[in-house]
Amino acid sequence: MSRGDRRGRPRRARGAAFGLVLLVLGGCTVRGPLLEPGQLTGLPRRVELEQTPFFRQREYQCGPAALATLLAAGGVVVRPDDLVDEVYLPGRRGSLPAEMIAATRNRGQLPYLVPESLPDVLALVASGEPVLVLQKTGAGPWPGWHYAVVVGYDLDRERVLLRSGSESRLELPLDRFLLTWERAGRYALAALEPGAVPAPAEFSRYMAGAAGLEAVGQHEAAARAYAAAANRWPEQALPHLGMANLAYARGDLAGADRLLASLIQRAPQEVAARNNRALVLLEMGCPQAARQQLTATERLAVGGPFAASLAGTRRQIDANGSSDGPACPHEVTAPLAQ
Amino acid sequence: MRSRWIVALLAIALLNLGSPRIAQAQLIGTLQAVEAGTRADHLATVHSALSRDQVRAQFAALGVEPTKIESRIAALTDAELQTLAERMADMPAGADALAVIGIVFLVLLILEAVGVVDIFKKFP
Repeated sequence: MSRGDRRGRPRRARGAAFGLVLLVLGGCTVRGPLLEPGQLTGLPRRVELEQTPFFRQREYQCGPAALATLLAAGGVVVRPDDLVDEVYLPGRRGSLPAEMIAATRNRGQLPYLVPESLPDVLALVASGEPVLVLQKTGAGPWPGWHYAVVVGYDLDRERVLLRSGSESRLELPLDRFLLTWERAGRYALAALEPGAVPAPAEFSRYMAGAAGLEAVGQHEAAARAYAAAANRWPEQALPHLGMANLAYARGDLAGADRLLASLIQRAPQEVAARNNRALVLLEMGCPQAARQQLTATERLAVGGPFAASLAGTRRQIDANGSSDGPACPHEVTAPLAQ
Repeated sequence: MRSRWIVALLAIALLNLGSPRIAQAQLIGTLQAVEAGTRADHLATVHSALSRDQVRAQFAALGVEPTKIESRIAALTDAELQTLAERMADMPAGADALAVIGIVFLVLLILEAVGVVDIFKKFP
């Protein structure tokens, strides 16, 4: 083939090629409409968290800079350089979302993964919490990932306000922000003070953050979060389970037993609470009372997520002595009526 | 004489290998209970030790200072470690070089096919 053959091709081919390229570049998946009309009613029309500090990013290090902005807004004394060793991956020239969460926990703040919807993000901002977002910028073959912090919005002018990169106050059109955020999987993270629950917080997301604190050894922050959650959602069992687990971790067997006993009284079907109380009782030298707790819940646990844990507890009880001391508690009522 | 001691030591070591300690039952952790309520795939067991090793190796390969690796791993929960172990390469943080090359090649191929550019002359 020589160049001469091609010169004569119709212009239409070029147009088609251009269209095809656009199609390839723009081939991103969109999960449902970005924004339903009327979804944003009920929010204040305009919010700006002016007090949110700003840390200018250095090359590739938008992760540490955005995270420092988020954490410092909650009163944590931290600078981007302090976070580089916790979240920056030299080989990727970036920061992984999971490590942003881990670093939040390291500073005693509760990482709250915001639901993947714009109204939820804006509602949290309106409640006073800046929200860290991941954006995918750049075009198809040259993607760029970027962390920024949403610090406000203006619904009438359809703008989002960000601390972003080297911009201390970036105004982005709402639709453009939505596109970049959508392409990054709608990742949004808030760093909450463990003692307080913002109004828009969802129970299971808050508890996931609180239990994460406990799991990595931030027991004091976890305790404050459990207490706040128990206060905000009094009907829920998990915050009390968490408090009992923390008491056990402190070596306070009697305290753990008290918390679990009152939880079981209110929620007799809580498998995890029964299992844990059985183990606590066993350690207190009460194998019979422990067996009673376990028997009350074994039937409920079949095929469930805790079946293996209960089997382990059963083996442990069976391997221990059978007679209780005089101080051991016993349930008077039948274990379960069903 | 010395070899007899070594044999005795090895025999004891082997005996220990053959009798694993009976695992102590553990309290159901709060995070485990939270995740049991939110995750559908609760039957999938988390192999935390394995994930930990994999993430450790990946961190080292990605240039994390050796002295910082352990503290970074300690800050992650079991479920996070497992996700990282399985999908760290696909996770957003930087550009995925292979995908970039693939897409650039595809675009060039299309442009070539419809005659906008002419760079694959050597391939009839």
